[in-house]
This record gives sequence, structure tokens and C-alpha cells, in this order.
Amino acid sequence: MFDQFVKNVSGEQMYLIFSLWIFLVFFVVVSILLFITKKQHTDRMSDLPLEDGTTNSIQNLQL
Amino acid sequence: MEPEKFYYDNKIVRNFGIATVIWGIAGMTIGLLIAIQLYAPGANMHNQYTTFGRIRPLHTNAVIFAFVGNAIFMGVYYSLQRLLKARMFSDTLSKIHFWGWQLIIVSALITLPLGITTSHEYAELEWPIDIAITIVWVVFGINMFGTIIKRRERHLYVAIWFYIATFVTIAVLHIVNSVEIPVTFWKSYMVFAGVQDALVQWWYGHNAVAFFLTTPYLGMMYYFLPKMANRPIYSYKLSILHFWALIFIYIWAGPHHLLYSTLPGWAQSLGVAFSIMLIAPSWGGMINGLLTLRGAWDKVRDDVVLKFMVVGLTAYGMATFEGPMLSLKQINGVAHFTDWIIAHVHVGALGWNGFLTFAILYWLIPRIYNTQLYSKKLASFHFWIGTLGILFYVIPLYWAGFTQGLMLKEFTPEGQLKYSFLETVLRIVPMWVTRSLGGSMYLLGVVIMAYNLTRTALQGKLVANEPAQAMALEPVSSVKRENSWHRRLERRPIQLMIAALLVILIGSFVELMPTLTIASNIPTIASVKPYTPLELQGRDLYIREGCLGCHSQTIRPFRSETERYGEYSKAGEFVYDHPFLWGSERKGPDLARVGGKYPNAWHFNHLMDPRLMSPGSIMPDYDWLITQDLDTTTTIAKINAMRKIGVPYPTGYEHKANNDLDIQAKAIAADLGENHIKVSSRKEIIAITAYLQRLGVDIKASKTAGK
Repeated sequence: MFDQFVKNVSGEQMYLIFSLWIFLVFFVVVSILLFITKKQHTDRMSDLPLEDGTTNSIQNLQL
Repeated sequence: MEPEKFYYDNKIVRNFGIATVIWGIAGMTIGLLIAIQLYAPGANMHNQYTTFGRIRPLHTNAVIFAFVGNAIFMGVYYSLQRLLKARMFSDTLSKIHFWGWQLIIVSALITLPLGITTSHEYAELEWPIDIAITIVWVVFGINMFGTIIKRRERHLYVAIWFYIATFVTIAVLHIVNSVEIPVTFWKSYMVFAGVQDALVQWWYGHNAVAFFLTTPYLGMMYYFLPKMANRPIYSYKLSILHFWALIFIYIWAGPHHLLYSTLPGWAQSLGVAFSIMLIAPSWGGMINGLLTLRGAWDKVRDDVVLKFMVVGLTAYGMATFEGPMLSLKQINGVAHFTDWIIAHVHVGALGWNGFLTFAILYWLIPRIYNTQLYSKKLASFHFWIGTLGILFYVIPLYWAGFTQGLMLKEFTPEGQLKYSFLETVLRIVPMWVTRSLGGSMYLLGVVIMAYNLTRTALQGKLVANEPAQAMALEPVSSVKRENSWHRRLERRPIQLMIAALLVILIGSFVELMPTLTIASNIPTIASVKPYTPLELQGRDLYIREGCLGCHSQTIRPFRSETERYGEYSKAGEFVYDHPFLWGSERKGPDLARVGGKYPNAWHFNHLMDPRLMSPGSIMPDYDWLITQDLDTTTTIAKINAMRKIGVPYPTGYEHKANNDLDIQAKAIAADLGENHIKVSSRKEIIAITAYLQRLGVDIKASKTAGK
């Protein structure tokens, strides 16, 4: 079936257009998900590296 | 509810840190040695085990998998524990991972100088080591996912997504690119041949850059930069977009390594289109990193760690802009096979990977040793000598790339090629000398760092088990249902891994399957026949010596190439080439049609001392080929293996193969004898001469028959 599909499409143009469409759809879906993500959640997530649960004061030293 | 007390494992982080520094110095020293050999061939110490072709793969493997690989594990083991608020899943698995990885590196250090290689770039290690790599990688995966499962932080920070994508994609790439049939314990043939093998190799090669040199480092950037600057990442939303777009697009771009080759045109166009698109997520990541320092640029003035990060991120931005530009066919036509590509690679390797690694080491080692850095001045000196080293390295190579790329295309008013290949090489020797100066400066900086970090460790005491505390995770049943699909995905590591896997498989499938499965993509040529047993043995010597490190075997459809080397290459010429040997650099001329161009005596004298036949040549002497006997005990196994993967040797031919080998070898030895060269027909030089004399001959036979 795959072989037949490839023989029937017009070669490179179809491949490129098909591939770019896949990406476009994927990109739009991720963008929509990001748009509806709450700021409270992203703020909480971006603070994670700064809260590592250590009690060691050396973690905050500056060179 | 009381917080739980636990300990982070810093010892494994320290161990990977030490390995990073040691292997970094080793890999860069080997790089310097091969850089010097380009203008002083005698720097191979007249020893086959330290000659360019054999140790170039050792340099690339050492810096990619030993230096960068250990740095990745150092960064992952440090950040993963803290982001998940849990000790690593198993100390035993951590140790197996560490020692297993070092053992693989040592096996590369032994086998590559011996000439034991598959010839696939960045995947040269032979099949037993491939299996070992798979096992150690699985151990790493179990340890990582085990830690994720016992975590005390429900949502996975973006750095961990990058680590998960790295794990799953490298596993897929390694397995597919290692589909080979063993011939002996230390010899195998790739199952794919010619253009199919080339496509698989560069799908792997490009994505080894993407998922070994880039995604884990982006993960580390997203963790360590906020820690170093003591402020959260600029935009978490941008990091999510960066992650999904980057892993989706990167996987498609591999064919840009094969432009103007015999790869089907649609696959080349696909590679170019996605390479251009790749600028967006790459720069999204770079900008997210640099903007994290907004309002904190004053810290960059004083903090050497942030200086390394800023230059590293800038190098990432430069390399990821230049890569897509190099994939444009017009630019690629000049730049490919020249030092331009080496410069491009080293902006990424020295700037992005190197400087991020140094920043993390300078930040991390004092912390796990509970002390201050021994000398800020030495660290600052390292930063400046390293930065200058990069400039002294890449600028001469860009210059060399432009110079040679343009010289090779220049014609006289009469329509003749203006320069011989050797003239273009000799013109860029001064640039190579300057490049090795830049490499020395960079290496000096790393040695100084090693001293500084050693003194730092000596003045402190390793906090092998660092105390920490965090609340235990609530049971899933008591967690409020989250409406956002992505938020739900963020707390489900297995689903996240599957999603990442699907994303990279889409591009891989569309890109690879048509070329691998549809016969019409590779038109066959009736006159192209399998190699004779002697030629096959000679081909394996060509692979052993790493000749493809300097000589390509594919002629692009440019007048400048067809005039210089002969008719442009066709896909059907390579159907029995397991593996393909197109190469990626031209320090010497293309050899695709060298067969019959010179007499046997020319090849003998040229291999014995290249300067006898080409005054000024930079090729090393291969005099050991004259003294070493050809190993014909492997001929039967080689013929059998080739037949299994589709090469049409007749049934039972393996038993008469060595007889045919002897006949052909004696004929070449007799021909050499007529030219006053006495050499036994059993010597290796006879086999490699037979192979060189075969290159491109079949298609010439086709033309002759046509007339």
C-alpha cells in the first residue's frame, strides 16, 4: 500500500508539502496548548531549579 | 505532614566530572596531533597506530562520547536528582553506568588505532562494542526512569523532557545505524549499501549532533543557567515550544549532508527545507537563555561562570544559524568537503559544548566539595585563552574553506581547471598551522582548568551524600484533575517519552522508508558487478586505514568536479558498497574513478612515499602495507556475509574465492615486477592496489560496451 501511495503522488512536491503540513499542524497544536496554559503553572515550573530541597549553604555561593 | 529527609548522590556526579576532564584533555590532544599531521605528516611518528586516518575517529569519538558524554551524565545526575527531589534510583546502576561507559571509551581507545572500525562516522565502533553501548544506555535509562518514578516533585521540569528525548532518540538512532552483519568478532558489514547506507548514516550523524550534542545540553542549560544567575528561566512557555519544535524538526534535516549526491532529489529538498526551519527553535532556545540574564548583565562582568555561559550560548546561536545556511545548495556546493565544515562543527563543539561544560564544572565542583573555587584568576585566564583559542581555530579554517572551495571551481579563460588539487591544499597549509595554534590555546585552557579544579577539590571535602528534604508526593487519587493536556503530560514520564518517540519517528519514517523500500529510487546499472575477493579485502584495508577521512568517493554534478574526477556518480554504482565510503572531507582528491587512471606501479610508489609521485603531498607513508601479509583466512566469512546481505556471489563461490584472490594478486605482483618492483603477491599493498584500480571501472565498462 505504501509503495502504491508513493507511486501515485507527484514525487518530491508531495513529500515536501506533506511534511510541512505535518509540522504546521503539530506547531499550531502546541501553540494553542501553550496559549491556554495558566501563568501560575508556568511560574511554578520555572522556579523548580531554584528549589532543590538542599539545606547546604554552599549551594548559594557566588564565585 | 513532615517533610522526608534524604541524600543526593554527589559521588557519581564527581566521578563523571573527573572523567569529563581527563577524556577532554585526551580527546583534544589527539585532535591537536591530527591537526599537526595535516602539514607535518611525519608527526604520525611513522607509526600506523598514530596515523591520521586511524586516529581521526578516535578524536571525534573521544570528544563526543567521552568528553561530552561524561559531561552530559555529570549534568544529568546532578540536576535530575534536584529537580525530582530524589536520590538516584540505584547507586549500583549508577556505578555500572559509570564504569561501563569508561570501559566502552577504553575499548575505542584500543580498537580504533588498530583499524577496527565500521567506517560510519561517529559510529565507528564495531558490533561487540555496539552491544555494550546498548546495554549501558539501557542501564542509564532504567536509572533515570527509576528516579523519575520515585520522585517527590509531581511535574517534570523542561530540562527532564530534554533528557528523556535524548535517551529515547539516541536509542533509536544507535540501533538503526548499527544494523550490521558480523563477519568475525571484530569485523562486520553494514546491512544497507550505497545511497541507502549513506542516508541511514547521515540521519544518524546529523541527529547524533542534535540529540547528543544539543538536547542534553539544552536541558542542562535550562537547569544550570537559572541556578548560576539565581533567577528563573526567561520564558517557560518558550521553553515548551522550543522543546517540541526542536525535536520535531531536527530529525528531518539529515539529508543536507548529502546534497548533490545520488540521494533522491526529494529527500535532499526535504533536508534543506527542515534545516532552514530549524533556525527558529534553535534561536528560540538561545534567546530564552540569554534573556534569562536580563537585569543581571552586571553579574556577567564579574562571574566567569556566566561569561562561559554567554559565549557558549552565542556559539550555539552562531552554529545553528550557520548550519541552515550551509544547507542551502548554492553555499553547500562550495563549502562541502572543505574546512568550512570543520570550522562550523568546532564553533559548536568548542563554544557550545566546551564552554557550557566548563561553566558547569566551575559551578558544580566547589559546591559538591563545599568550598570556594581555588583561583578565580586562573578561571578567568581559561575563559580568555579559550575564547581566543576558538577564534584562532575557526577563523583560519573559514578562510581555508573559502579559499579551497573557490580554487577548486576556478577555470582558466581557455576552459581548463586552473589549479590542481594539490595546489589548493598547499595554499591552505598556513591556515592549518594557525588552526593548530588555536587548538593548543584551547587545550592549554583546559589543562589550567584541570589544575584549578584539582586544587579546589583538595582544599575542600567531597559531600558524597548531600542532605535534602522535601514533602512526599500525594497519591495520584488525591490530586486535583488538571484541565490542561500538557500539564497532565508533564507528570506522566512514560507518556512523555512515547510522545517524544512518536515525534521523532514521524520524520524518520517519511525520510528513510521510501529510499530503503522502493527499488525505483536506486536505478541499477547492469555493468556494476560485485568486488572480487582481492578487491573486497583491499576495500577492508581502505576502511581500516581510514582513507575516507581524506578521500571522498562521490562526484557531484559540477563541471569543476566532472572535469577533475570524471563522470558524476550514480546511485546504481554503489549497490554492493557495504558500507558506503563517500566520506565527508577532501584533504586529498576524490577517488570514485581512480581505477585505471594510474598504473599499478604508481599506486605502489605513492603508498610507499606519496611525495615521490606528488611532490608536496601531505599524505602519510603507508609503508607497512608493503611489509604486512594480507589475512586471507577471513575471505570465506566475508563472501558468505556479503551474500547474506544481497551481494550476488554464486553459491559455493566462497570455497574458490581465495584461489581467485591468488590469481589476481599474482597478476598485479607480476605487473609490478615488470616495473622493477619486487613484492610478494601476499602483501597488503597488492589488495589495496586491486581495490583502487577497481574504483569507477564498472561504469566505464558500461560506456565501452555501449559504443
